[in-house]
Amino acid sequence: MNNWFSPKRVTWMHRVNPAIKFLVFIGLFIIILFTHRLDFILYQFLGYAALLFLSSGYTLRKLMLMTLPFIFIFVSSSMTMILFGKGETLWWSWGLFRITEESFFRGIHIGFKTLSCAATGLLFALTTRPTLLFYAMMQQLRLPPKYAYAFMASFRMLPMLWEELQIRQQALAVRGVRSAHSIRGWKERLLNYAVPLLAQSIRRAQRVAVAMESKRFAAQSSTATRTYYYKTSVTSRDGFFLVIILVMVAVAFVASHEIPLFNVGDVRG
Amino acid sequence: MIDKAEAEEVLGVTGLRLKFPGEPNLQFKDLSFSVKKGQKVLLLGPSGCGKSTLLQVLCGIIPTSIEVPMQSESLRLPSSWGMVFQDPDTQFGMPFVDEELAFVMENQCVPREEMEARMKRVLAEVGLQLGDLHTPIHSMSQGMKQRLALAAVLLLEPDVLLLDEPSALLDPEGTVQIWDAIHQIGANRTLLIVEHKLDHVLELIDRVVMFDDQGQIIADGAPEMLFREEKSRLIEYGIWYPGVWDEYVASSRYRNLMDEDDMYAIAQRHDDAAPLVELRNFQGKRGKESRILIQHAEIRSGEWIALLGENGAGKSTLLLSLMQLLKTEGIYRLQGKDVQLRRGEVLSDQMAFVFQNPELQFVTNSVQEELGLSIGLNKSDAATAAEDPRVCEMLRHIQLESERNRHPYQLSMGQKRRLSVATALIHQRPLLLLDEPTFGLDARSTFAMLEMIEQWRQRGMAIVMVTHDRWIAEHFATRIWRIEQGHGVDTAITTRTERKMVVNV
Repeated sequence: MNNWFSPKRVTWMHRVNPAIKFLVFIGLFIIILFTHRLDFILYQFLGYAALLFLSSGYTLRKLMLMTLPFIFIFVSSSMTMILFGKGETLWWSWGLFRITEESFFRGIHIGFKTLSCAATGLLFALTTRPTLLFYAMMQQLRLPPKYAYAFMASFRMLPMLWEELQIRQQALAVRGVRSAHSIRGWKERLLNYAVPLLAQSIRRAQRVAVAMESKRFAAQSSTATRTYYYKTSVTSRDGFFLVIILVMVAVAFVASHEIPLFNVGDVRG
Repeated sequence: MIDKAEAEEVLGVTGLRLKFPGEPNLQFKDLSFSVKKGQKVLLLGPSGCGKSTLLQVLCGIIPTSIEVPMQSESLRLPSSWGMVFQDPDTQFGMPFVDEELAFVMENQCVPREEMEARMKRVLAEVGLQLGDLHTPIHSMSQGMKQRLALAAVLLLEPDVLLLDEPSALLDPEGTVQIWDAIHQIGANRTLLIVEHKLDHVLELIDRVVMFDDQGQIIADGAPEMLFREEKSRLIEYGIWYPGVWDEYVASSRYRNLMDEDDMYAIAQRHDDAAPLVELRNFQGKRGKESRILIQHAEIRSGEWIALLGENGAGKSTLLLSLMQLLKTEGIYRLQGKDVQLRRGEVLSDQMAFVFQNPELQFVTNSVQEELGLSIGLNKSDAATAAEDPRVCEMLRHIQLESERNRHPYQLSMGQKRRLSVATALIHQRPLLLLDEPTFGLDARSTFAMLEMIEQWRQRGMAIVMVTHDRWIAEHFATRIWRIEQGHGVDTAITTRTERKMVVNV
């Protein structure tokens, strides 16, 4: 299962400094958030999707599988807006449902926004190793080591938590504990899982913390004197990456004005 | 050899007073203790006497990392030290071997260029041969993880090594390996060891310090003399000293228990019936993958079957498959009837199951409710549970009467294990499945646990138990199933059964 998520080939996207990549992708999220023209977000999405398929280094089959849910999130996020949105030009109505031209465009605009976020997020997740991200954040962004190592140590605990969850599930079945399908039953089930798993996790976290400190990890230590096993640096490749992203967004912007497909302007009306 | 009289003191404390918040008594009251350079000291005592706490005080973990109120007249911390902890799974902050070792060196600001060479050196010192330094830690056995922990500590170049039960949670093979590694690297260092399993420790140490349950030092001296004079205390504290099994098997307690056994009667009582469990071409699966295959095997009432085999051979998988917690294929008959379950059902009304970690199977908020739940009482029905005669008898049996209202999590490890086994025994299912119920327990608790299971077996219950311990398999089990890499049951009779046969002939 773990091997499934290793790329077929390592591309330039994997080699971009993770901290720079992180900042750029945060920037992209903000751009996506403040895009209000349907054509612009559509062209952006095409760009992000192209980047995902061309530079993630995963096989087409895996990428298709991973983007399959995109259809679902597109439909689900646009549907509510389409069916219940306000608008002047009525296309179709039935009971509570009212589809207007404005609400339709606003709906698919939301859909493409969601897709754009999903595509960029997936690209980031597929091409970035968490450990390297935190190493880069310590070295390039001066993130205090205590936060970086707290995150890295907790990553290591996730599989253990998952294993314990399964054991707890089996143990409850063995003990014949069944919770009713009611609100009270849900509360009971929540407690049945949360209490033992939290108890184990808190204890484990405490032990790991003591073990880490006994290896001379000082929570107050600064980034200045610390040495790093993985040296991350900013190179010309990061400049290349930045240019590609900027060009892509710029092309999408120009294209949305020059060759608009919907030409509906600002969806906010 | 270093002359001990002249050697300098490397660590020590005088007049130590320490109290854990919420506990009624002082853990230590005016304790003084010191270690000289090059000494190899073993700390012994009953569980809860504060040996591990003392280790943590002596290297400064208390109060720096763990805040516990304490005071002392003088405290001398070692100039350089490293500590290996008990639990292999909670010592590492990073996912890969190289990253974990690098973490230690980063903390000491070792230049990056030197890191790889140092990693290789310490891994070689502890005898860990890894093809690739970038090996995921979770893919290693528990024994390998402990040696990795030792390697990480060596990067601190410690003069003093503190070992807090480093082999308590290891199987016999891992235990040998970690002590071999400690032997290799311990020569020029001061060692301070807390350990219950003494088999491989004795050749290492030259001084033993013994505590009583009040946290007072009651004996301090050379190992040979001390073990001779304080033998009764070793037994009382449940220490696994060499020869403890030989003595136990020769003891009248064990003999009497075995003499009460009448396999013939049990066999006769159940003879006409089909075997309790019959397996043919039985496969247990995790996901789509078949993890265990049993060609043909039977379990009869009154049998105690020990499942032996390497780590990952499929012992636990077999237990889960028998319980129908995993998907299975092939023929599986219980008392002559094919097992057929609907989705999501398990066989909880025909067999009982004890997981290795007792905490994960506790459901209620008190010891007596826990037992009450097993015999079908309502979960929150504490009052009924308190009155039920079966619950009361079981509480007496597992010596938890005075703890009956406590939360199960507040019990000691041995008590938790007893309670978890008791919840499985109390509803008297014909088959009991146990996943290493004595793992990590001291000798006294182990024997008590085994005797308790044996008494129920003599009443006709069949037991299937995963264990790594040859002694348990030979002297309590009646038959051994050896599991090798996911398939095959190679059955063998045990010493106990052999002896019985000789007696009967």
